Amino acid sequence: MPPTISKNKCNGCTLCAQICPLDVFGPAAPGQVPEVRYPDECWHCRACVIDCPKGAIDLKYPLPLMMLHQVVRGK
Amino acid sequence: MIKTNKNIQECDVLVIGGGIGGLMAAIAAADAGARVIVAEKSDTRRSGSGTTGNDHFNCYIPGVNADSLEECLKEFRQSLVGKGSYDVSIQKLFLERTFEVVQDWHSWGINMKPHGEWEFNGHAFPGRKRVFLKYDGRNQKPVLTAEAKKRGVVIENKTPIRDYLTDANGQIIGAVGVSIKNTEPELKIFKTKCIISCTGNASRLYPSITPSQMFNTAHCPCCCGNGRAAAYRAGASLINLELPNTHAGPRYFERCGKATWIGVLSDPEGKPVGPFVTKPNKELGDVTADVWHGVFNDRFKDGTGPVYMNCTETSPEDMEYMIWGLNCEGDTSLLDAMDKQGIDLSRHMVEFGQYNPMLIGRGIEIDEKGATKVPGLYSAGDETGNFRSDIAGAAVMGRIAGEAAAAEAAARPAIDDQLETHEVVKELQELCSQLMEREAGDSWKDFNYAIQQLMNDYAGISIPRSENLLRTGLKYLIDLENAALGAVGCKDSHELMRALDAFDLALMGRLIFLTAMERKESRGLHRRSDFTFTNPLMDDMMLMIYQLNGEPVTDWRKSW
Ligand SMILES: Cc1cc2nc3c(=O)[nH]c(=O)nc-3n(C[C@H](O)[C@H](O)[C@H](O)COP(=O)(O)OP(=O)(O)OC[C@H]3O[C@@H](n4cnc5c(N)ncnc54)[C@H](O)[C@@H]3O)c2cc1C
Ligand code: SF4
Ligand code: SF4
Repeated sequence: MPPTISKNKCNGCTLCAQICPLDVFGPAAPGQVPEVRYPDECWHCRACVIDCPKGAIDLKYPLPLMMLHQVVRGK
Repeated sequence: MIKTNKNIQECDVLVIGGGIGGLMAAIAAADAGARVIVAEKSDTRRSGSGTTGNDHFNCYIPGVNADSLEECLKEFRQSLVGKGSYDVSIQKLFLERTFEVVQDWHSWGINMKPHGEWEFNGHAFPGRKRVFLKYDGRNQKPVLTAEAKKRGVVIENKTPIRDYLTDANGQIIGAVGVSIKNTEPELKIFKTKCIISCTGNASRLYPSITPSQMFNTAHCPCCCGNGRAAAYRAGASLINLELPNTHAGPRYFERCGKATWIGVLSDPEGKPVGPFVTKPNKELGDVTADVWHGVFNDRFKDGTGPVYMNCTETSPEDMEYMIWGLNCEGDTSLLDAMDKQGIDLSRHMVEFGQYNPMLIGRGIEIDEKGATKVPGLYSAGDETGNFRSDIAGAAVMGRIAGEAAAAEAAARPAIDDQLETHEVVKELQELCSQLMEREAGDSWKDFNYAIQQLMNDYAGISIPRSENLLRTGLKYLIDLENAALGAVGCKDSHELMRALDAFDLALMGRLIFLTAMERKESRGLHRRSDFTFTNPLMDDMMLMIYQLNGEPVTDWRKSW
């Protein structure tokens, strides 16, 4: 589930659902915590996290998107 | 039957897609006195590939980054966005107007001079002119949206457009889409004298590098060729479709922005793989992957890979600059993911890789004013085929198309056609109703994945193309489309939008098969096992495809 909304922080302003470029939330009702209706269509652009006035959203990155890394060999 | 919204909104210029190109087109058309509506699939404040930022703006600032336009043009034509099958006449007109747009953006509040002076870096060769202005694009979408609104532009968000409507003379008279404002879909019709089509790149035609994650794409996956498909169906010509274009970046987290990294592409031992830089260099970046697209796969296959972005020798000041740059670029998710995964770039190298093809600079053919061959239809941005310059290209050509469309609209009489009963509207009504009414239908996702597997296996870049494979792939794709027409079912407006996306992607796929068959040579990533050589006689020959009496026809022309 890419975006997760912390229910006790969210004020139900629906901004995240309005601005998501992928319509991951679908239509949202003012005053309610938006649903994450289409989680596997998240592009991980982080627009919702940046714009949420309450800092209520966290993004989870699916395992296949792991950032492969290692130290320089021999160092 | 799917409902149709009775309120037909009217304007002089209808912009499809409020990304960078679309908003700039809307602003320019409104400045020229036109009544403008933007129909946007998402929300213009954060839609498209420029959603949370960009940081390199290709431009010519006289006396700063070059002494003459020719000097700048030469460098632009060697860069990843200017090199290839593009019309130099449009490239020149574009460059001439870049500085004017840079200055306007700066005055509107997009910081084009974040360190107090014009700063050019990244995507650059040692000892050469630099053509990419470093800027802070974090607020570009909200700023451009506000500028459009200030000028009275009406923005209809959550309104993906499906088709452009023409009259008996083939002139633009309107557009039709499906509103996704509510879970129940509704057809939405617009009446207009001109359309500027700006729906961006086409992602989701080939598989993501992560098979289970369709929306893990370098560019915005909301953009999937809708404007190209609508323009083609309305009679426009598409160009350059057969030449695959790929991007590179963090191996499994597909994202643009490789020029923002200040490091050296290195092998596992930390040795540079390219000839351009041996130490991290803020001014240049490492241009290797812009030039040698196959570097990641080549080194993987010959046993000397993988290839990493190595920032372990980047100075602390440059590291700070790079992190700032990645924020400006809209790559905060990469930073967040690395943070969550405990990656420290001063110690860890991050593996990079090449992604599968997507369409950018492959699409609608335009002239120097952004006009297509359909009267009243213009296009700008990632969606055009014979010109490309990404953010700057979208911004400047959007402005040029906006000015031209406003002038054309001013000279056209009011439109009195009945649009509710237009043949194309009726067809869409029927298709949407079928898809919505089908119970327990197949998911649009399966249809989209099935398109991707055919594109990858029969017209991809890992297996060379051939007449045999292309002909076969085309046959299978047509079978698939026919099967999908009788099988896909949608539960709500969102799924309907995605199903329509998939049908547009299938159309793009068909046109790629046809044009790839027609280019009987190998060129760049268009490799043919039955024509393995690059024919110099075709160096500046561009391939177009358009409809004639409902059938696709291909045609060649020299580049302008
Ligand atoms: C992370 C990242 C970093 C990048 N950095 C740079 C950079 O530094 N420099 C650079 O030059 N380029 C960069 N790019 C590319 C750049 O963002 C694009 O080239 C640019 O946004 C193209 O503008 P556009 O208007 O053509 O398309 P977009 O800005 O993508 O806009 C297309 C719009 O069309 C809408 N749309 C799609 N389909 C429909 C439909 N059917 N109906 C209505 N609306 C529709 C979309 O929602 C979107 O709003 C970057 C891209 C990404 C993803
Ligand atoms: S933007 Fe934040 S506060 Fe507003 S609805 Fe979304 S999660 Fe809740
Ligand atoms: S990260 Fe982007 S795509 Fe994902 S839910 Fe947030 S706004 Fe939507």
